[in-house]
Amino acid sequence: MTSIHTRVESGMGMNATGDADDIRRRETARPGEVWGQATAAFNRWVAGDPLGLDELVRVMTPVLWHVVRAYRLDQDVAEDVIQTTWLTMVRKSSSILEPTAVGGWLTTTARREAWRVAGAAQRAVPVEDEELAVHVPNARSAESDAVEKDESSRLWTAVDGLPERCRRLLRIVAFEDRPDYASLATDLDMPIGSIGPTRGRCLAKLRVALMQAMPSGPEGDER
Amino acid sequence: MSEMSREDLLEVVRKVWIERDPVPDGLVSRMQAAAAMAGSDLDVELMLLVERSHELAGARGDTTTSYTLRFVHGDTDLLLRIAVDGDESRVDGWIVPPEAMTVRALAADGEPRGTAVVSDKGRFELTGLPTGLMQLRLEPHDPERPAFATPTFEI
Repeated sequence: MTSIHTRVESGMGMNATGDADDIRRRETARPGEVWGQATAAFNRWVAGDPLGLDELVRVMTPVLWHVVRAYRLDQDVAEDVIQTTWLTMVRKSSSILEPTAVGGWLTTTARREAWRVAGAAQRAVPVEDEELAVHVPNARSAESDAVEKDESSRLWTAVDGLPERCRRLLRIVAFEDRPDYASLATDLDMPIGSIGPTRGRCLAKLRVALMQAMPSGPEGDER
Repeated sequence: MSEMSREDLLEVVRKVWIERDPVPDGLVSRMQAAAAMAGSDLDVELMLLVERSHELAGARGDTTTSYTLRFVHGDTDLLLRIAVDGDESRVDGWIVPPEAMTVRALAADGEPRGTAVVSDKGRFELTGLPTGLMQLRLEPHDPERPAFATPTFEI
């Protein structure tokens, strides 16, 4: 898990690298950890420390990015949705009664806005069709690069080969901490009762796809 | 061959998307700037303490001490009745004129110790509060109305 970011070296200047490294480390943290950091930051902000807001945005923006992009919005539209989410939170913090729920409040608000924008614009472009820059950090050894690329392209093949509904649902579920099924059902245009079973089927499909893509099993997991 | 757990699979999904569709450079700092700008309009103003009165302890033969505080801010009046029983306290509040608000009790360390929503009669209550320094932050539900707070008072 740590292999992606620990090998990032300064090919782009210290600040940019440090920032990107930092973002990636936070992103890969399990949702539960991120949610705890978000709650602590929210509490600091509400208590009058503006750095708490800074920290909350730093911790949650990457999560919002992945959740919003699951709605097949262009980069700039996705960015607008995320900005709207933050402005809404700042203005309507009074509606967040339980600080431990701030992470879920943010992702739910972002999903609702993404869904609204995607529907209104009728121009949701499949993310898959865009040119997605593969994020390969500079200045790594050719060998580890090749190994990692191979590994990551196999993982990608497995995820990318899933039916679209699975790709979207799993992306949201992976980055959220216990997403609220009712709003997910509306957003994904699925009956609420089918979210759980669909998620289970999607995970099963992914499990099979990963085994097919990697007969030896994923890193460090061969048996 | 043991199966990958649900968490393992979701971890793969996260890893793949972080690599294939990374957060754009500068997005975090752009969002921090936008949020900070929106937040700076909402600098919290302090209410003014205008009245303080004590009720004698033990009047009813129990250990409860209580007193009232009255704060004002603009046209809003906030009346608090604070009751201390041992190391626990409760605050009964009354907002005049009544306004939909969220009230947060913040301890001196900034940790929130309780949240209440003002009723349509202007009442709210916060129970199970610790004793010590406390501040109440009032957040009107009308987004046009900035939040305000009491000065710190001791319970």
